[in-house]
Amino acid sequence: MSGRPRPVAALVAANLRRLTRDRVGLFFMVIMPFVSIAFVGMALGGGTAGSDRLPVGVVAEGAEGSDPVTTAVLAELRRHPDLTVIPMDDAADLRSGVREGSLAAGLVVPSGSTRLELVMTGTNGSGMAARGAVDVSVSRVAAVLEATRAATVAGATETEAAEYVRQAQAEAGRVSVNDSATTGGDPRGFAYTAPANLLLFTFINSMAVAAALVESRRLGMLQRALTAPVRQRSVLFGEAVSRFLVAAAQAVLIMVVSSLAFGVSWGDPLAVAVVVGVFSLVATGAAILVGTLLRSPDQAPAIGPPLGVVLGMLGGCLWPREASGEVINAIGHAFPHAWGMDALLTLTRPGTGLGAVLTEVAVLAGMAVLLLGGSLILFDRRTRVT
Amino acid sequence: MTATLACEGLRKRYGDVTAVEDVGFSIAPGQAYGLLGPNGAGKTTTISMLVGLLRPDAGTVLVGGTDLAADPRRAKARIGYVPQEIALYPELTGRENLRFFGRLFGLARRGLAGRIEEVLDLIGLSDRADGRLDTYSGGMRRRINIGAALLHRPDVLILDEPTVGVDPQSRKAILDGLELLVGDGMSLLYTSHYMEEVERVCDRVAIIDHGRIIAEGTRRELIAMVGSADKIELVLDGDVEAAYAKLRTVEGVIEAARTGAESVRLIAEGGRYLLPALISAVEGSATVTATQVIEPDLEATFLHLTGTSLRD
Ligand SMILES: Nc1ncnc2c1ncn2[C@@H]1O[C@H](COP(=O)(O)OP(=O)(O)O)[C@@H](O)[C@H]1O
Ligand SMILES: [Mg+2]
Repeated sequence: MSGRPRPVAALVAANLRRLTRDRVGLFFMVIMPFVSIAFVGMALGGGTAGSDRLPVGVVAEGAEGSDPVTTAVLAELRRHPDLTVIPMDDAADLRSGVREGSLAAGLVVPSGSTRLELVMTGTNGSGMAARGAVDVSVSRVAAVLEATRAATVAGATETEAAEYVRQAQAEAGRVSVNDSATTGGDPRGFAYTAPANLLLFTFINSMAVAAALVESRRLGMLQRALTAPVRQRSVLFGEAVSRFLVAAAQAVLIMVVSSLAFGVSWGDPLAVAVVVGVFSLVATGAAILVGTLLRSPDQAPAIGPPLGVVLGMLGGCLWPREASGEVINAIGHAFPHAWGMDALLTLTRPGTGLGAVLTEVAVLAGMAVLLLGGSLILFDRRTRVT
Repeated sequence: MTATLACEGLRKRYGDVTAVEDVGFSIAPGQAYGLLGPNGAGKTTTISMLVGLLRPDAGTVLVGGTDLAADPRRAKARIGYVPQEIALYPELTGRENLRFFGRLFGLARRGLAGRIEEVLDLIGLSDRADGRLDTYSGGMRRRINIGAALLHRPDVLILDEPTVGVDPQSRKAILDGLELLVGDGMSLLYTSHYMEEVERVCDRVAIIDHGRIIAEGTRRELIAMVGSADKIELVLDGDVEAAYAKLRTVEGVIEAARTGAESVRLIAEGGRYLLPALISAVEGSATVTATQVIEPDLEATFLHLTGTSLRD
């Protein structure tokens, strides 16, 4: 009849089953994230990866193929993952296209010269993003030209110089993929709103289930559980695992549905799992902290989700970060969402892996340790036998 | 024989408030032990120390010979604790709540469903087991609250005022069930401020007041402490305060207490023969509109020992 006490299994099973009985809570976990991804995603220029690119008009005065600068610039621009190159004949058409907004930016490449002209309006977000991308491409061309010139001056023949530079370029090409992640603009449409809402809802719904923890305390469930032949730390662990599973399930659901229904590609699975995992730990720590500090279960829904919305806003989960000022984005980096966004957006670029997001993962892990550690110590104090 | 549950010298203070002082008793296997005292007497505090939820400032608790402080998990495995407030998940069904406690207490997976069925049968809720707890009546919740403490077949069941706020039918079901369990050999620690329940269920009783045990013994022994005195209830009309003062001085009255705006309770030698003297004593201040003479019981003992009524 008797076996070993299974406090963690008991608490996890009971807490998850309680969650399935909460219709409103389930609605916010299962329906709301996708409503938000779809609506905000469409407002942000909708579509999936293909139409994500920023249209950049190019007027090339020299012929592509014969003029080396023109050829190199066009090739670089076409290689950039965020840009669509639209060849144009007339600089005036280019300017009006940029003014009307049908082009994110324009570039005039004169024949036989390296004095390129960038056309853009004021400071709108996609213009800035396009400018960043164009800058990257152009500076890469400039570096090639500079290197060729340097090699020739150093005494190499033109063919040798071209060979050196091609080698150097191939190396740089590999490195520059990482570079483009930070210098280029954020992706748009669902590619942006899916990770944004993953972070937003994982956090908000963790805060909402904090109510269940307050309720457990108020009902005396935790105290009563401690009269069973179990260690107190097993009870703490069981409560923490329950919250973590909810956060992780929320994240997995959003990833699966968004890739099936919206064609979002998340990037390297291992790296995404690590980022989402540490972020879920942060959300778990925050939930236990709130669940331990609050007295009445009614306070949790009143405080948790609004806090989650504000942090999400600062971290760029509600609207694109390029629409917020630098100050907001800087403040945002005091909280987990901005770091999560940095990491997940970086991972959407082809060729990136865990190595590209080590800083973000380290910061999130630090936050998780602080929040989980702090909240468990506090939780321990409140439930300990005195 | 080793006591199922024994405690000695228990003390708990909160700042200047002494909640429990020098409490000790011993419960033999199969014995039903009552802890009787008014609200605030220290019953819950005592129980909390017995089940390991409060650390005593002084004193020891032995469960089947195991020191609770030294080996809490071994000691706790033998105790079934029913808290005063209902501690169950309202969103879960009765059966799911029992399953939670079954896992918590380490019931083997295979036997769990069958044991839950047995307990549901014992508490008479087999047919309602799959309803959510928040659809249950107060009495049904109380019964699940008790059932949750029975799953692991404890040696001793500790109940903290299990019938508070319960309809008479459920109360009867609970008390009948407890008598069955004791009949089967389980030990019981039953706390209540209802004298009738303690008298009905318990073989042995400790009376607790202001954190101390003031009397302890079998029901018969405790009642004998009051001697042959009877309890007399009087309902008065008029200046009750003045009448009360006069009644206290009547020859044969041992104790007196005000029990309401118009009622007075007396412990008196000679019972019904004293009534004429009592009625004439209050003349001029009040008139006696109703009388009741009750043979000695634990209530009388309590009044005798403390000078106050058990229920205010
Ligand atoms: N946590 C606490 N802090 C301060 N005083 C307490 C605390 N718990 C109980 N008390 C006091 O201890 C006394 C006994 O309380 P309790 O054991 O709950 O009585 P009972 O269960 O018999 O009604 C009361 O005076 C109560 O106010
Ligand atoms: Mg009490």
